[in-house]
Amino acid sequence: MNNVLAIAQRELKSYFVSPIAYIVIGFAAIMFGYFFISLLYYFDRVSLQAGVGFGGPETVNVNEMLISPLFLNVSVILLFTLPMVTMRTYSEEKRSGTIELLLTAPLTDVQIVFGKFLGGLALYGAMLAVTLVHIGFLFAFGNPEWPPVLAGYVGLLLMGGCFLSLGLFVSSLTRNQIVAGMVTFAVFLLFWVINWIASFTGPTTQGVLNYLSIVEHLNDFARGVIDTKHLVYYVSFIAFSLFLTVRAVDSERWRG
Amino acid sequence: MIEVQHLTKRYGPVTAVDDVSFRVERGEIFGFLGPNGAGKTTTMRVLTGYMPPTEGRAIVAGYDVLDHPIEAKRRTGYLPETPPLYPEMTVRDYLTFVAKIKGVPRKERRVRVDASMERARVADMANRHCGKLSKGYRQRVGLAQALLHNPEVLILDEPTAGLDPKQIIETRELIKQLGGDHTVILSTHILPEVGQTCQRVVIINKGRVVAVDSPENLTSRLRGSETMYVQVDATSEDTKRALEAIPGVTQVSLADTRGTVNSFEVSSEAGRDVRRELAAAVVTRGWGLLELRPLRMSLEEIFLHLTTDESAAPPEPAGADLSASAEASADGQVGPAEAAHEPGENAHE
Repeated sequence: MNNVLAIAQRELKSYFVSPIAYIVIGFAAIMFGYFFISLLYYFDRVSLQAGVGFGGPETVNVNEMLISPLFLNVSVILLFTLPMVTMRTYSEEKRSGTIELLLTAPLTDVQIVFGKFLGGLALYGAMLAVTLVHIGFLFAFGNPEWPPVLAGYVGLLLMGGCFLSLGLFVSSLTRNQIVAGMVTFAVFLLFWVINWIASFTGPTTQGVLNYLSIVEHLNDFARGVIDTKHLVYYVSFIAFSLFLTVRAVDSERWRG
Repeated sequence: MIEVQHLTKRYGPVTAVDDVSFRVERGEIFGFLGPNGAGKTTTMRVLTGYMPPTEGRAIVAGYDVLDHPIEAKRRTGYLPETPPLYPEMTVRDYLTFVAKIKGVPRKERRVRVDASMERARVADMANRHCGKLSKGYRQRVGLAQALLHNPEVLILDEPTAGLDPKQIIETRELIKQLGGDHTVILSTHILPEVGQTCQRVVIINKGRVVAVDSPENLTSRLRGSETMYVQVDATSEDTKRALEAIPGVTQVSLADTRGTVNSFEVSSEAGRDVRRELAAAVVTRGWGLLELRPLRMSLEEIFLHLTTDESAAPPEPAGADLSASAEASADGQVGPAEAAHEPGENAHE
C-alpha cells in the first residue's frame, strides 16, 4: 500500500508541476461555471412561471431541475479533459525510460497500475472539488437537499474512474502521448454516444447499448439514487480496465 | 551470488541472447564486454527482472528472477543505459521517491538519500531539477539511485558512457570501492575500462559467450607464445638468419624496413625469455640494436580477435577459438591499426 501511495503521490505532483493540472482544472471550472449559469437562468424562469401560476410544473425542486442536469453535463467536460490526464501516464515513462526504474523496483505490476490510477483520480478529485463552490452558492441562497448531491458526486467520481482506467489502458499500449490522447478521446466518444442509436433498435440491442454507455449509468446517481446495479457496472468497468492495463504492461515485458 | 544458466532471449525471430551461462561470486566486479547489439543490455534486463528470459534461468542473490522477482529486485540496484530520471523532480525528491518504492523504511530514508548522494557526488545538485542536469550529473544521479537501498548486487549498464575523462576516472574509482561489499556487474564496449576495474570479464558477441576469464588470463591465453619486437640496423637476411639461430626462437618475421633499419617480430616458446640472447646476438655481430621490447597483446586486440568473424568461421568452443586467432596474429603481423578497422566494422553489423 505504501508503494501504491508513493506512486500515486509522484503522479499527482507531476501533474501540478506541468501545465496539465491547471489546464484541466481551469477548463473544467470554466465549463462547469457556464453550465451552472445557464441552468440557473432556466431554473429562475421556470420558478417564476410556477410562482405566478402560468402552467409549468406544480412544484419546482432545485435538486431535480438544476443540480441533476448539471451533473449530467459534467460528462461532456470529462470527455475533453480526462484524455489529457491519462495520455502521458505510461507513454511518457516508456519514452523517457523511467519505466525501467518502476519495473526493476520491488513492485508488482498491480501496485504500479493502481498507483497511477489513484494519482489520476486524485487530480480528478481536485477538479470536482472546484465545482463545490457553485453547489455551495445553492446551499447559501437556497435550500437543496444534500443527500442527492452527495450521491451525484459519488456517481461522478465513479464515472471519472471509468474514463481514467480506460485512458490508462490506452496509454499503456503506446509510447506516443499524442496517439494515446487521440485514441483515448475516440474511445471515450464512442462510449458516450453508444446508446444514441438505442431507441431505433430492437429491445435486446437497446438494453445492451444502454447498459454499455458510461454516461447512461450516471442518470440515477444524478437524481440522488445509489443503485447497486450501476455501482457494480462502474466498479467492474474500472477493475476490468485496470486488469487489461496490468496485462498490457506484462505482455510488453515478454515482447521486449 | 549471480548465476545465469543457459539464458536465451528471443524477440520474435531475432535471438538477442543465445545460451549464455556464467557465475559471479560475492564481492566480485564482473565485466560484460561486447560490441553494440551483442546482447549485454538484454542480459542485464533479464537479471534485473525487467524482462523474463525465453529459456534458461537467472538467479540473483539466491532468488530466481522469474519465480521470486520481488525478493531478487529488493537485492538489486540497476543503472540502465539511460538514467531513469523524472525531469520535473529535484534530485532530492527523486531519490526520496526511489527510496520509497524500494522499500527503505521511513526513518532511514533521509540518511540513505544523503549517503547515496554523497557517494555518487551529486550532493551539490540536491535541489536542482533532474531535467536541468548535464549528462555527467544525470549518470551520477542514476548511480545514486542504484546505490540507494544498499543492494547486494549492482548492475550497471555502461556506467561511464557520456562522461568526461575526469568523471570516468572518478566513476571507475567508485566502482572499485563498491566491489567487496557489493557484487558488481558492469557492461561496456570500452576495453581499457575492463582491464582497470574488473576482476573477471565475459566477452559476448551476437548473443553468445566468447570467453570468460580475468583480464590478465585472457591476455596470456591469447598470446600462447612470447613475441618480441626488435629493431636492428643491419641487412634483413643476415639478421633474420642470426635471430633464427638463437635457441628457443620459433619464428622470425620482418615487420618493417626503413633504409638499413629493419624491424622484426620474434616469437619464442611460451615462458622462455630470449631477450638476453637476442641482444647478445645482435651486439656481438657489431650491428646497432635500436629497439627491443616485448609485444603484449592488449585487451583491445583480444576483443577484436575474439569478436571478429574471420578469426574462426564456425562458432567453436572458446579455447579453440583463442588459439586459432593467436596463431593468426603471430603469422600475419596484422598491425593493431589495420586490425582495428575491418573487425570493428564487422562487429557493428
